[in-house]
Amino acid sequence: MAIECLVLGAGQEVGKSCVVVTINGKRIMFDCGMHMGYLDHRRYPDFSRISKLGDFDNALTCIIITHFHLDHVGALPYFTEVCGFHGPVYMTYPTKALAPLMLEDYRKVMVDRRGEEEQFTSDHIAECMKKVVAVDLRQTVHVDEDLQIRAYYAGHVIGAAMFYVKVGDAEMVYTGDYNMTPDRHLGAAQIDRLRLDLVITESTYATTIRDSRYSREREFLKAVHKCVSNGGKVLIPTFALGRAQELCILLDDYWERTNLKVPIYFSAGLTIQANMYYKMLISWTSQKIKDSYSTHNAFDFKHVHNFERSMINDPGPCVLFATPGMISGGFSLEVFKRWAPSEKNLVTLPGYCVAGTIGHKLMSGKPTKIDLDQDTQIDVRCQVHQLAFSPHTDSKGIMDLIKFLSPKHVILVHGEKPKMATLKEKIHSELGIQCYYPANNETVCIPSCHYVKAGASDIFIKRCQNPNFKFQKCSSSGAPGTSIQSCQNPDRSLTPRLQVKDERVAEGILVLEKSERAKVVHQEELLHRVGEKRHHIRFAYCCPVRVSDSTDISSKSDRDSCLQLLHSKLSCELSGGNIQNFGENLQMDSFHISVCPKDYCPYRIHETSHSETLAMYFCCFWEAIDEKLAWRILSAMENLDLREI
Amino acid sequence: MDLFHNTLQIEEESLSLSTLASMRSLIINPSTPQSTITSILQKLIRSLELSHDKVLLHYSLNLLTHLAIHHSSFSHFVFQSVCSHSLLSAQSTRLAVDSLQVLALITERVPDPGLNTDKLDDGFFVSLCFGPSVSARLWLLNNAGHFQLRPSLLFTVFLGFTNDPYPYVRKASLDGLVDLIHHGIFEDSSLVDVCYHRAVQLLGDMEDCVRSCAIRVVASWGLMLAASNADMKSYWSNEVFAKLCSMARDMSMEVRVEAFTALGKVEIVSEDFLLQTLSKRVLEVGKKKEVFGQNTTEQFKMLAASVAGALVHGLEDEFFQVRKSACLSLQRLAVLSTEFAHEALNILMDVLNDDSVVVRLQALKTMYYMAISGCLKVQEKHLHMFLGVLADNSREVRYSARKILKQVKLNSLLLFKSTIDGLLHSLSIYPQDEADVFPAVSHIGWNHKKFVAIVSKEVFEEVEAAFEGNSEFDSARVAALLILCISASLAHVNVGTIPPVLFSYAVTLLGRISSAFIDVMERDALLAYLSDKSRSIDCFASNINHGGGEKQLPLVQGDYSYCASNDVTSLVETSHKIDVEFEIQPQFVREPKDVLNSQVEQRPVHDEVIKFTDLTLSKVPDVWSLIQSGFTSEALKILRSWKEDLASMRSDFAGSADALAFTLQYLQIIKHLAKIWGNFPQEKLICSRATGALDFELAKLDRKVEEFRIRFIGFSPQEELNVLELMLVTCVLRLCEADICCRILTLKRLTATFSQVEHLLKESSVAPSTFIAELRKLLPEGVTSINEASQSPLEFGKCLKLFCLKHFIYSGTIRHVRAELSIVNNDFEHPLPFVSGLPVGIECDITLHNIASDHRLWLSMTMNDDGPSQYVFMDWKLLEGSGEERNFAFVAPFYGTPKASSFKLKVRIGLKCSFDDAVLGQTCEGPGLGLAFLCPDKEVYLSNVLKTKSHYHQ
Repeated sequence: MAIECLVLGAGQEVGKSCVVVTINGKRIMFDCGMHMGYLDHRRYPDFSRISKLGDFDNALTCIIITHFHLDHVGALPYFTEVCGFHGPVYMTYPTKALAPLMLEDYRKVMVDRRGEEEQFTSDHIAECMKKVVAVDLRQTVHVDEDLQIRAYYAGHVIGAAMFYVKVGDAEMVYTGDYNMTPDRHLGAAQIDRLRLDLVITESTYATTIRDSRYSREREFLKAVHKCVSNGGKVLIPTFALGRAQELCILLDDYWERTNLKVPIYFSAGLTIQANMYYKMLISWTSQKIKDSYSTHNAFDFKHVHNFERSMINDPGPCVLFATPGMISGGFSLEVFKRWAPSEKNLVTLPGYCVAGTIGHKLMSGKPTKIDLDQDTQIDVRCQVHQLAFSPHTDSKGIMDLIKFLSPKHVILVHGEKPKMATLKEKIHSELGIQCYYPANNETVCIPSCHYVKAGASDIFIKRCQNPNFKFQKCSSSGAPGTSIQSCQNPDRSLTPRLQVKDERVAEGILVLEKSERAKVVHQEELLHRVGEKRHHIRFAYCCPVRVSDSTDISSKSDRDSCLQLLHSKLSCELSGGNIQNFGENLQMDSFHISVCPKDYCPYRIHETSHSETLAMYFCCFWEAIDEKLAWRILSAMENLDLREI
Repeated sequence: MDLFHNTLQIEEESLSLSTLASMRSLIINPSTPQSTITSILQKLIRSLELSHDKVLLHYSLNLLTHLAIHHSSFSHFVFQSVCSHSLLSAQSTRLAVDSLQVLALITERVPDPGLNTDKLDDGFFVSLCFGPSVSARLWLLNNAGHFQLRPSLLFTVFLGFTNDPYPYVRKASLDGLVDLIHHGIFEDSSLVDVCYHRAVQLLGDMEDCVRSCAIRVVASWGLMLAASNADMKSYWSNEVFAKLCSMARDMSMEVRVEAFTALGKVEIVSEDFLLQTLSKRVLEVGKKKEVFGQNTTEQFKMLAASVAGALVHGLEDEFFQVRKSACLSLQRLAVLSTEFAHEALNILMDVLNDDSVVVRLQALKTMYYMAISGCLKVQEKHLHMFLGVLADNSREVRYSARKILKQVKLNSLLLFKSTIDGLLHSLSIYPQDEADVFPAVSHIGWNHKKFVAIVSKEVFEEVEAAFEGNSEFDSARVAALLILCISASLAHVNVGTIPPVLFSYAVTLLGRISSAFIDVMERDALLAYLSDKSRSIDCFASNINHGGGEKQLPLVQGDYSYCASNDVTSLVETSHKIDVEFEIQPQFVREPKDVLNSQVEQRPVHDEVIKFTDLTLSKVPDVWSLIQSGFTSEALKILRSWKEDLASMRSDFAGSADALAFTLQYLQIIKHLAKIWGNFPQEKLICSRATGALDFELAKLDRKVEEFRIRFIGFSPQEELNVLELMLVTCVLRLCEADICCRILTLKRLTATFSQVEHLLKESSVAPSTFIAELRKLLPEGVTSINEASQSPLEFGKCLKLFCLKHFIYSGTIRHVRAELSIVNNDFEHPLPFVSGLPVGIECDITLHNIASDHRLWLSMTMNDDGPSQYVFMDWKLLEGSGEERNFAFVAPFYGTPKASSFKLKVRIGLKCSFDDAVLGQTCEGPGLGLAFLCPDKEVYLSNVLKTKSHYHQ
């Protein structure tokens, strides 16, 4: 059995996440995103690779969307409505609520503002959403008889989830985007310890290790506080969802704690609408907000008011959140134009700004003048503060998650190629896990576990009910007291000399018979079941011993006396053991000696050494456990001479 | 009731569930007649014998428990019957465990010495454990502590069941292993090793509850493994630390909390590991690795990834429980390394921005502990956060922040000014805090006199403007500013800089101001002081010498270091020395005792004691610099008052009692040292000086140091070195006296002690102090004959100058060896009878504390104060009792009974110093010279039997 991963998007790049996984006959598409950097065919994943004929309904079992960002959901209406897919689409409740908002907003920007050709209509979005099945966190959904999916909290944005998929015995997790450290409004990703064959993880920050968010928060608060206490105005251009709420909670909390009275404003628009969603989706936020929810909804900001356009020129300090985030136009640009000329004021910028926006210009160097267009020039004297909050996990977070899940294989997507290569090496060397980072339209096949269902016999089950552990000495360990310096491999020297083993498993034997189900039986039952007798392996050797010339080998009395003689000699020779004499033969543990009357014994090795003297042959048998003893006795016998008395 | 009897009769054959239910109501009803109870009891017992229905048996046992608990007169009987009928003949493991449960409950609730669970021997326990019933197994493992089982057996069972397929069984056995560690010391280190590694494996268990228990086992057994492995102690400690750190990123909140709690328990970690916990990036190795050597570096490379950023992750965790726990462990770890503490402070400052009050409070508490252990170094970059806390809207947070300010030492004027501004700002926002802000201001003023002197001019202008009515009169602010100046002047900073008119302004606000000094002086005393100061306006210029007036002031005890003996000129000359003194001073101020504060925090007493001893010990090096610069009397004064303070502290808690005894003894030594040092002009020798007094003092010092070494155990190598260094100094001091008689003996002791030092240095790889290094040059290796060591006292004197007293950190492992001795039934009025010439047995009741197994104890008996002494060797190991405290009775024979009608014996317990024998080669019988006495003398009164008889005849 194998899991087959076809990466349609976000392979060695960031954008249009889309991975199609074939797992035990089921085919699942994870995310269906669009690339924001392209306007041509590269914008969407190459869906033709799923099915040449476009028969997607038969080619795909279902689609799973992790969160509402356009690079994860942007191509969904196009795929379901334009390409035609009628199967179920799974996403979490908040994603289902917020994704149409994002899609509609995007469609508007594309069509209404830029006048581009419409890829999908509002109706498409609405129709697409009808196919969506919303799931809750940790709710196991049976898509069909064999396919189970389960969503786990991923942080990142509200409603973001990692998805666990199980088909038969093959199990895997697709993480989507996630964050391993909590922020002010969202918690950290949470997942159970699972036995996974494969984890497909994002790797946006494959090599970056970020500092504690505390220091970034402190810098931000310090800058804002300083500005407003000097009577300045703070402009915080943000995107509507996520960052605005996080910063707002941070500021609201700080205001509350330090009794600041300066007003905080939200510009009307998407942000306020989004706040409403946040207020309803409390169960998807961080623990702190959930805890305090019963007394105070953290999204009911105490110090935040609505902003009226007329207030732009009002005197006195204030803090204003305005969209869009990169000051590429809209209200934030309007406010920026008014506030930038005063050095008292402050503008905070997000960590990343697209080239060409004012945000980008402010970030690159410290311009004193910005040309908006040919006629307008903005005199920039205000302070600029850059915010480096990111909702993606850093490389340590990726490592921590993979270490915790310990899957058999890892596939990296959603990252930059050279960095992914570095991370792949790290995963391979530090965690010893196979790792791949396929490019777009490449397929990776990984083997998956195959379990065989086996029945168990009653005796075995009965034996299993009683615990049965044993302490085993570990043979690989060095001598006691070995110091660390002297050991080549310190890890080995640290394994204890005693280990606890469960004997129950060792007592079971798996029986596979033709045309019958596999069955585990207790080792004692095996013989009866197979209808065989117990065989013992015995070793044999016919050993010559010198005897006096007068001995008549054919005479029974002589043979007996020789045996007696041998007994007494061996008893002297082997001081440690107790050789028992049974008249006909001698015995010590499983070692038997008897006189060999045959002329030709199959166990005899013909040698010429004793040819000049008369030798009597003694047939010896022994079992494998007594091998050491046998060699001792045999070597003693070889050297014996029964002539001497 | 009759009805019930009928039912009983009818259902003679078998009980039904409904009958059992009605029985239950009868049992728990207190007014049920005794006879009914008896019949119920018999019925139940019979059903135990006869019934085969497992469900019924289960309920019957349950009822029997109720019966035994509600009617304690039957408990014995129930116990016996369950023991005999049910336990041993039980049809299933489940029922056997049910009966055990009954027995356990009865023994728990009904204290009756007649009940014991002897029936449950080791074999029976094991056989039940290995039965098929999982719930029974779980119960047995959870309650194994109730039964007297061999620890070795328990260990095997617990360890084995860590492999059980059922997670709760695994958890129970891990819990058992944690408990087991309290029951005894496992001398076989391979067992500890196995257990530790098994727990490490279980850190990767699928179940949260197992993982969190595994963390506890890893911490406790891992640390035991480290402790049992002297030469690899640091290695194992680091290993355990790294394992615990790796759990900081677990997905379960409980596991993370457990991991951070366990981290705080680690006592030795190399600095690299500590610093690595604060950085998510893996740090470069190799800054100052020489201390631990190659081992640690390699180990660090291997483990750094799992340690990386553990504490940072903890502090930014989503759950406040984890953040709080991480703060707490940081508090414990901060004392291990100063550099770590400094780094940690940067992050801790950010935690002050946390949204949870609990976490902010814990962060402040951590800082407070850092402050009192002297590793809090506030920098300018911290100011914004730290002063922000002063304006926090939670009262507790503000209070905690000010509590730190009272302790903190600000090292720049800017910091000082901003702090004062911050305090005054917070006062303006929260006027209700005045009662706590003022003492904080006074503490800051006290701690930073130099800065106060600098700002006093500005303050004066502002206050004057306010009083003259030139600016708005903000009385709280003015009062605070006045307090600042007064507190500094109380500490005798050059008063010239503070205009006397300020004091007269202060008088007008006395009511408010006095609250700030409530812990320093009474209101009347303050008034006297203020008016005295303000009166001196006239003689402002000539007021520099303020000898006379000062002495009338009822200054606090804390104000020791007032340099009464030095006139002002010497003060100016030695100003740099005085600085040292100023630094010491403020810490003597006791904690404010106002009611408000005590509500906020009530610390247990022993904590206070430890804190105070720590503080005292940390100040010792400062005193030493005083001694060295010749301020002997000042130093002695300080020491004396410390001793008084310490002596006034009471402590019932064992750990702090040890700390107290330790500190007292240490101060005593320093006192002697100071006295001697004062008599020792460093440059020239003291041949001409009459040596009698000095000799006497030296002998005292000698004895005290010796005793110090013997009566405290559990020193770390570094501490041991400090003590040995003290011994060396004592010897060297003696050698500096040119004409001492016992030069040879002293040299012998010196070399012997020095070889111990060398040995320790080699073992612990600690860099030797300059004093030791210098001494090494003087003592060529293998000096055995004295002729070789012909060093002149002069050279020893040079050496002595390099000696400096180190900061003795009381690590908590140090234990005070002491004994309590009482004589049974004996006092002046009830003498023991004796027959002269025959031995008499003296019954002693002895309690030994912290006696190690290699200690040799003697009982010394001295007759009539100065008479002959007799020693009896006490082989206390043969006597019962174990652990840190042993109590036993001992009958000491006294042989030399005199021919007298009565006499008195002085009995003491002495500990043999093995040291002297080795050096002096004594082979006399008895303990010889070196006996350190562990308890005060006890007097025994004996009276002749004949005399007593005649007495009776009369």
